[in-house]
Amino acid sequence: MADDKDVLRDVWFGRIPTCFTLYQDEITEREAEPFYLLLPRVSYLTLVTDKVKKHFLKVMKAEDVEEMWFDFEGTSLKWHYPIGLLFDLHASNTALPWSITVHFKNFPERDLLHCPSNSVIEAHFMSSIKEADALKHKSQVINDMQKKDHKQLWMGLQNDKFDQFWAMNRKLMEYPTEEGGFRYIPFRIYLTMSDRPFIQKLFRPISTDGYTHTLGDLLKEVYPVAISNDDESKHYQVVIHGIEPLLETPLQWLSEHLSHPDNFLHISVIPTPSD
Amino acid sequence: MSSCFLDEETFCQCCQLFLQHSHSLCDGWSWEQVKGSEEGYLRKTALGTGRTRCNQDQQGTSSDQHQERTFSLSFHNDDDDEDDGAVCCIQEENSSSSVVQYEYHILYSCSYQTPVLYFRASTLEGRSLCLEEVWDSVHPNYRQRLQHRPWDTITQQEHPLLGQSFFVLHPCRTEEFMKPVLKAALEEHRQVNYIVTWLSVVGPVVGLDVPLSYCTQVPEPPHTPSSSPQPPSSSPQPPSSSPQPPSSSPQPPSSSPQPPSSSPQPPSSSPQPPSSSPQPPALGTKPG
Repeated sequence: MADDKDVLRDVWFGRIPTCFTLYQDEITEREAEPFYLLLPRVSYLTLVTDKVKKHFLKVMKAEDVEEMWFDFEGTSLKWHYPIGLLFDLHASNTALPWSITVHFKNFPERDLLHCPSNSVIEAHFMSSIKEADALKHKSQVINDMQKKDHKQLWMGLQNDKFDQFWAMNRKLMEYPTEEGGFRYIPFRIYLTMSDRPFIQKLFRPISTDGYTHTLGDLLKEVYPVAISNDDESKHYQVVIHGIEPLLETPLQWLSEHLSHPDNFLHISVIPTPSD
Repeated sequence: MSSCFLDEETFCQCCQLFLQHSHSLCDGWSWEQVKGSEEGYLRKTALGTGRTRCNQDQQGTSSDQHQERTFSLSFHNDDDDEDDGAVCCIQEENSSSSVVQYEYHILYSCSYQTPVLYFRASTLEGRSLCLEEVWDSVHPNYRQRLQHRPWDTITQQEHPLLGQSFFVLHPCRTEEFMKPVLKAALEEHRQVNYIVTWLSVVGPVVGLDVPLSYCTQVPEPPHTPSSSPQPPSSSPQPPSSSPQPPSSSPQPPSSSPQPPSSSPQPPSSSPQPPSSSPQPPALGTKPG
């Protein structure tokens, strides 16, 4: 079990080296230098980029500055997705550092949610946790927690405090022994080659006759394309936190150890690079 | 059994029955299917009124601060008594009543096993309304309810099928208002179409009215008898903390007769109607 706890730490402390460059059409008083930052995989862009904003505001006039937003190679980045998910989905097979373009104008209203303050991030984060618990425990565990416990989950994330977070989160990872696992697994499978942003369905970790479902079972059921292959070459990579877990991995274990702090398993299915 | 939850198949059936009546009224609802799947949603566009800012200048740092103030009031109440949480609908001197184009989508949430109302709003010039303007557009009669119940609130979310920004009425309290209605209908042997009932409660909050004829003209889906006993250990329960009465006693048709559709069905279940969404596997029957 010591190994399993290490996994929790490795997930929490994952970082992505990132280079932020100001979009060339932004109006500046002098040249803007790029800004480098190590981004936590498990956090959210708007939560950890105050320094980025401050850096670029130094060379801009207030009237040229509206809500900050980001793009990577022309794709606007959804702040409400965990950073690690955005990277795995859009940039896994590109060279580091991850090059993100910073914008202060022309906010893409249709595609991005507004994020005027940290309260919005908190609300979104807590909403995901509640939804995950609705799936895992019929909301019983989250509803039994007090408001201060909910706050502790958020503060743990916001302040990068692993122990504070997990002191509370472990309750959300428990289940009655006789059940063998959660009621349903909170997961989302993100697709790059589709209009649809993700697939989310009801899926049990343990079948009624006690069979332990694996990652492969999940994919076969809800997105078989992901594990299709011709001539022994894989078309797609199935990535969680930057790694490709074996398809034989039990889903219950993945849910307990590789979920994001919002208690969801965020799974990217990306085309295998051709070289 | 008066279940206040809805499985996906029943959702689709309720929607189809809803649509039949809608077509007779020509009131603009349609069914949008997701490419390559049985999933879909109801959609309608409509012109309505809303409060929007007159000047085009709704961008800029001052607006950010504005919205920041709104949000900090609406969400920081988690520390305090719920009643203290007040969403501040900023009374703008330069906002006025204007014509707003609304687009409504009714989707199914498998996490909450309820329908969810998504919508977006724009001015006739095509400018999307911001959350503040949407709040301001909510009829004063409903504002108090939204202010004091943060989880009834309207937030901006990503549309799960289209990936675009929409506003959403949070679904996690649906059970609270659906349960008594469904229970009463059951006791009085009345037919209830879940979508009609649900929409008539949440719709008006965001400018969507449901004509009365829906309540009298739209039936509930045919009750698919699943009277065969369910295996006890995996007894399918909707995600609800209240105990469910046993399903073996003779029941008049209820509006959501099916337990969550991912639970294993005994082989003697009736065949599913053609419009059903694909069933997740009979998970219990996988080889061990």
